[in-house]
Amino acid sequence: MEKKVLLAENQPEFGAGFELALTMSPADVVFIVRDSGIKGRGGAGFPTGIKWNLAGAASSDVKYVICNADEGEPGTFKDRVLLEKYSERLIEGMAIGGYAIGSSHGIIYLRAEYSYLIPTIEDARKNMIARGLLGKNIRGKGYDFDVEIRTGSGAYICGEETALIESLEGKSGFPRNKPPFPVNSGYLNKPTIVNNVETFCAVPHIILGGPEWYADLGIGDCSGTKLFSISGDVEKPGVYELPMGAPLKDLIDLAGAGDIQAVQVGGASGRTIPATETHRSLSFDDLPPGGSVIVFDSTVNMLEVLENFMEFFVHESCGQCVPCREGTLQLMYAVDDLISGDICSEESLSDYFRLAEAMRITSKCGLGQTAVNCFVDIINNFVDFTDECVSGKCCCERGDR
Amino acid sequence: MLRNPEEIVADGIKEFGSEHESIMQLLTKVNEELSWIPTIAIEAIAKATGISVAEVYSVVSFYSFFSIEPRGRNIVRLCSTISCTMTGQGKILEALIDEFGIEPFETTDDGRLTIETTPCIGLCDQAPAMLVNGEPHVKLTPEKACDIVHGLE
Repeated sequence: MEKKVLLAENQPEFGAGFELALTMSPADVVFIVRDSGIKGRGGAGFPTGIKWNLAGAASSDVKYVICNADEGEPGTFKDRVLLEKYSERLIEGMAIGGYAIGSSHGIIYLRAEYSYLIPTIEDARKNMIARGLLGKNIRGKGYDFDVEIRTGSGAYICGEETALIESLEGKSGFPRNKPPFPVNSGYLNKPTIVNNVETFCAVPHIILGGPEWYADLGIGDCSGTKLFSISGDVEKPGVYELPMGAPLKDLIDLAGAGDIQAVQVGGASGRTIPATETHRSLSFDDLPPGGSVIVFDSTVNMLEVLENFMEFFVHESCGQCVPCREGTLQLMYAVDDLISGDICSEESLSDYFRLAEAMRITSKCGLGQTAVNCFVDIINNFVDFTDECVSGKCCCERGDR
Repeated sequence: MLRNPEEIVADGIKEFGSEHESIMQLLTKVNEELSWIPTIAIEAIAKATGISVAEVYSVVSFYSFFSIEPRGRNIVRLCSTISCTMTGQGKILEALIDEFGIEPFETTDDGRLTIETTPCIGLCDQAPAMLVNGEPHVKLTPEKACDIVHGLE
């Protein structure tokens, strides 16, 4: 069942959440966000309130509020929809974040692929300024805040928060070593919060509805609602809002799908499961709720899907650390060999599975750690090695080996 | 009439400043105006920001939207990720290659057009999709894609 907050038809007026926040102390705003239990909507799932509390406690006269609008996970477009329709809500959420941690500078890091949305976001900013909700001494409270838009230039890795910060600093998007964490030393080495578009958009609703209301929207221990972008073999692809923790099946029912072979949840870096597992829940404890869900019907060759994703990771690995740079390449070669028939047994893949495990453990950032998921899942769940050859062009039959 | 790269950089410095953190904005400005980033622009940015030419070059080479090779004044970026390939991206790419006589990442001799493939552009609900000079075009067919590209200046 859809339980709409972010995409609700009747929404509170833009700015109402911020105005209410301004009547509270910054610490109380942080506590409300913390008590709501909201976790980062970009996919990593770090508790937003804890992040804000740490940044708020960091002593510095300059701090930064950064919105990660570098939505690049294959199959994800929820943030695009939020930017198209709710840019004011986003800026409002950033302003609340700034008030909570003591920052006057907001930066929206927008992926270059979404540059066509800059006029929309700029209009939203101008509306907020016209209503006195951005600028100097907002509502006479002695608090200043404004946002600027900066664009990326076609690098998936810049969705990783420290790579994003490097990019903002005019550098290549190589993830930093952590610690220090951005809450202590982020943009220009100042305390910085980096939150996803959806997280910031949820904050004004949390301020207005209260932490208990928001937490109760989720199922079980999960808090709030979540946007999911669904595409692939479904009747009604689009963005749907569900309670966090909802079964995957509910989402698929909304989008409409009959013949299901596989569902990928959480994008290329997420999990790929067979139709028998759609009862599982979209939550940080089960299927990754980053935002992307792609349905594949029985006509799809899952090895070709895997090939597409491995090519993606080879292209998008930043190249800084060896496990990811070389590992993604080797896994792509393995997939090519599976398709050509040069690899046709599970045993010949055992070294690749060991490599995948090494990448998961030793890659520097989430890209390399999660790039192996589709490889492991698709081969384990969708490649049948009991057939003489997975490709139908078996190397054994050809007598190559 | 295309402006001199150094003039674009000088303008950019006025707009964005000459700090290290302005580099992405300066490069984006040059890249958008000229469709690529000539060495002379990299040198001008290095000089203005006090960063080495090598470091500015490394930033240019990191990001796939920047190019150190001349590109056409129109850039088509066809999404090559799964939701688009499942809905017929392959046929669209073939049609574009046939119609305009260039492979991905090549430029027509008259400098009018560059075709690129690009990872997910976040239009999966309206696949297959492409960006033409940054603007989205969705629910493409081979004919529709060719018509759009023919209609460019």
